[in-house]
Amino acid sequence: MSRARAEQQPVAGGNMLLVSVALGMAFLLIWALLNVAKAHTGPIYGESNMLFVSLIFYAGAGALYMGFGVTGIERYVKFASIATAIGFLANTAAAGHRWYIAGRPPFSNMYEMLLSFVWTVALLTLIAEKGYGVKIIGSITMPISVVSVILMQLMPSDVRPLVPALQSTWLHVHVSLAMLSYAACAVSFALAMMFLIQDDMKTETFQVLTAISMAVVYISIVATRFRSGGLAVIGWDFNEKSEIFVAQGQRLFAIVPDLGWIFVLVLLSTVIPIALYFVARFRNDENFYVYANRGMFLTILLQAMALIVFVLRVQNGAYPSAEVQGLFRSALPASPFLLSGMVGSIFAGLLFLLMLWRREGLQKMLPSADNLDQVTYKTIGIAFPLLTLMIATGAYWANQAWGSYWSWDPKETWAAITWLVYAGYLHMRITRGWRGRRAAYFAILGFAVVIFTFFGVTYLLPGLHAYS
Amino acid sequence: MAVVSTWNKIYRTLASVRTGIILLLVTVLFSAVGTVILQRPTTDAEEIQRSYSPTTLMWLDRLGLTDIYHTWYFLTLLGLVSLSIIFVSIDRWPNAWRFYARPYRRTEPHFRASLPLKATIPVADAAKALEATERAFRKHGMPVERIVDSEEVSIYSEKHRFSVFAVYVVHASLLLIFMGGIIDGLVGYRGFMQVLKGESANKITLRGTDGSSKPREIPFSVRCDNVGMETYENGAPKKYWSDLVIVDNGREARKKHIIVNDPMTYRGVKLYQASMGESGKMDKVELVAARGLEDLNGKRIWVGLNETAAIDDNYSVRVLRFIPEYYVQDGEVFQKSENLVDPAFQLALVDKSGAETRMWLIPRKANVTLEETPYRFAASDIKMAKYTGLEVSYQPGEWAVWAGVVLMALGLGIVFYMVHMRLWAVVVQDPANGQVLWIGGACNRNRDKFEQKFKAIVEEIGTEVGPPASGKKSGRELAHV
Repeated sequence: MSRARAEQQPVAGGNMLLVSVALGMAFLLIWALLNVAKAHTGPIYGESNMLFVSLIFYAGAGALYMGFGVTGIERYVKFASIATAIGFLANTAAAGHRWYIAGRPPFSNMYEMLLSFVWTVALLTLIAEKGYGVKIIGSITMPISVVSVILMQLMPSDVRPLVPALQSTWLHVHVSLAMLSYAACAVSFALAMMFLIQDDMKTETFQVLTAISMAVVYISIVATRFRSGGLAVIGWDFNEKSEIFVAQGQRLFAIVPDLGWIFVLVLLSTVIPIALYFVARFRNDENFYVYANRGMFLTILLQAMALIVFVLRVQNGAYPSAEVQGLFRSALPASPFLLSGMVGSIFAGLLFLLMLWRREGLQKMLPSADNLDQVTYKTIGIAFPLLTLMIATGAYWANQAWGSYWSWDPKETWAAITWLVYAGYLHMRITRGWRGRRAAYFAILGFAVVIFTFFGVTYLLPGLHAYS
Repeated sequence: MAVVSTWNKIYRTLASVRTGIILLLVTVLFSAVGTVILQRPTTDAEEIQRSYSPTTLMWLDRLGLTDIYHTWYFLTLLGLVSLSIIFVSIDRWPNAWRFYARPYRRTEPHFRASLPLKATIPVADAAKALEATERAFRKHGMPVERIVDSEEVSIYSEKHRFSVFAVYVVHASLLLIFMGGIIDGLVGYRGFMQVLKGESANKITLRGTDGSSKPREIPFSVRCDNVGMETYENGAPKKYWSDLVIVDNGREARKKHIIVNDPMTYRGVKLYQASMGESGKMDKVELVAARGLEDLNGKRIWVGLNETAAIDDNYSVRVLRFIPEYYVQDGEVFQKSENLVDPAFQLALVDKSGAETRMWLIPRKANVTLEETPYRFAASDIKMAKYTGLEVSYQPGEWAVWAGVVLMALGLGIVFYMVHMRLWAVVVQDPANGQVLWIGGACNRNRDKFEQKFKAIVEEIGTEVGPPASGKKSGRELAHV
């Protein structure tokens, strides 16, 4: 069912945002330029400077895309695209420079992976927008890029030589395929979500699903890190700029007191909207949906506060450990998963709020549900062969390095499970004619499995894949 | 009769897509379980002991959950998946082959009526209309075939008919991969071998799936001529390497300098550089031979196990025994472990006539031999014998796996990017509109793109040919928002 395109909004209001964003970006660029000139922090085209430039342009693009999301003014998209494209060029320069310095493509540690990821996301944003006409996708992908670049600043960025097992061309091929396929799966997820918006899935359903995702994040954190009121974080060795290990593969955990209780509180706050949703359904009382939405506000607020407290306490603290005597220092780079989980959860909450406030506007400017359904399928048609090649090159590399192409390692197994889930999507679609809602659910499930394969396996399960 | 119908039922069930999906889900479930419960083949026995209570572990072991990927039920599950793929392919193949082998070239009236994607254009000149059609088809990359028979002339255009087999290619590739895995599971083996520098070995230690280790002979010997490691400035390992020689039936068959990620293959057996280290065996010890307790200028001599080194014209020293960690029991010296923790050397001072005086040197207790001999010894340095750690694997089914992968990539390419498109055109007499050019199209994927192509073709023909009545378009909507 197609919907009417957005009516032309008055252009006068459109200029304000454009001008403020442009001014903001110009200010930051000039400030950065002055800094570089003053402190001689490397050549203008150097990696860190180019990365900063791309950050500024992605942030500007993100602001304009979100502005488009809220107001529907098409002019914003034009400028947002230009900003994205410039950011992408700067990002390419940064990655290229790093490649040149390191003598190999940027795939061997967290910092480099994020660098490649952000580059891929920007590329896919431009493709989705120009190739498939999904203009709103930038409002999701650009904020993700901005957060990733900020996260990168916390990672140790020095170029480290590779241990023997990672010295192989197949590494680069395997990792780039992984990056591309995960990015394609992420895009299919975003498209499936947009489909659900267009397909008139109830706002309450979005609310409870967002709340459940947030709860899952905080349950995982509390279940694995709560220690008698405190929160266990990985200790950081400031000299080595790496995590502290007590034994082979076993990290040292320092316990930040009272932080555990704060996270339990946040966890409870994510459960409340879920409970209110079920009360509303059970009692058939619409008021409880309103309370549930208020609960969402509350939990997002609490999560933001918890994030601030976490950052302040962990950034440069010294805490005791349960296993070893003495105080150990903590630092943000030691907790990339916790940070990603918290930031991602807040981001999901904010997207829900955007939907809550501006659903009609969004529905007017998004492509039709049918269209979105088709594009989701096409995106998965790109993601699935990439996933296949990723697994195949991973197996070939494993065979070269460890003598076996398949050892049922958790990461391998979960990659295979991801593949099977998307194969399931394709089967249901092709042979059973599943379209619309059911296909969208399947696509979302697929992405959840991708997230688990990428984060959950490294974070929650042990294995050979401990490199990233 | 009952047997036949039961077989039929089994066949029908296994050949249904629904069964396939269910089997897929069960496979996912079991695989996931194996990642959450510690698996014996890849985890230290001690770690498993530590992680589960004895009762829990007993039940996990009994149910096979600690080695789920090798249990009979998991293998049966994979077998059922393979059967399901085979049966569904057999079931649908005849139709696919018929479709491929007998293209539907000439249209019949009922086909023309029921085809969803079609258009009609009133035309005056049939021959011109067909020519225009051919041009339009060709312009859009579609081949053209004229079909002439006694009753009519029609045009048939078709591309990528092979794509109807795409699904079979993908499924066949999956079966090929499974076959490779099965062959390797049945006939292949993997194990570990440590070869001391300068020595040969022909036995590997297989890692049993229950964590046990069994020795197994391989059909040739491996001799390690040299082994080494390079590190980066910060001490991190940069390169592990070995110089290996394969000795087969007494002759040197192959030599290679191997590193991690660059193994050596011989008769299907692959040797991988996995690690290296220092064994508990001594390579050489540096002894200081002093004339007495006050002699500070003793002579430094390197000597290996069972070797004799001369000290001067009259005397030489020989190392008889070396124990990296010793203990004494009943007046005898024994080895406690292989770790260089508390070494003991049994030395012999040999004089010109060959007479030996034996003594023990225990550096940690007192780094000088206590016997009153013309020369006393202290140990100043020691080099341990290095070994190379090799991962050895024999995987004859590997070729099937890689062939399957390549085939699957091909198959997926066909599935997603090769669309079977067909176009028909014929001039017919329509009772309502007189002579019309009927154009029809069909495709098996990417319908919207094909519909756009069809619409463009029809428009081109329409403008070139018929009367300005821009052609009735019947059937479903051609345009897609």
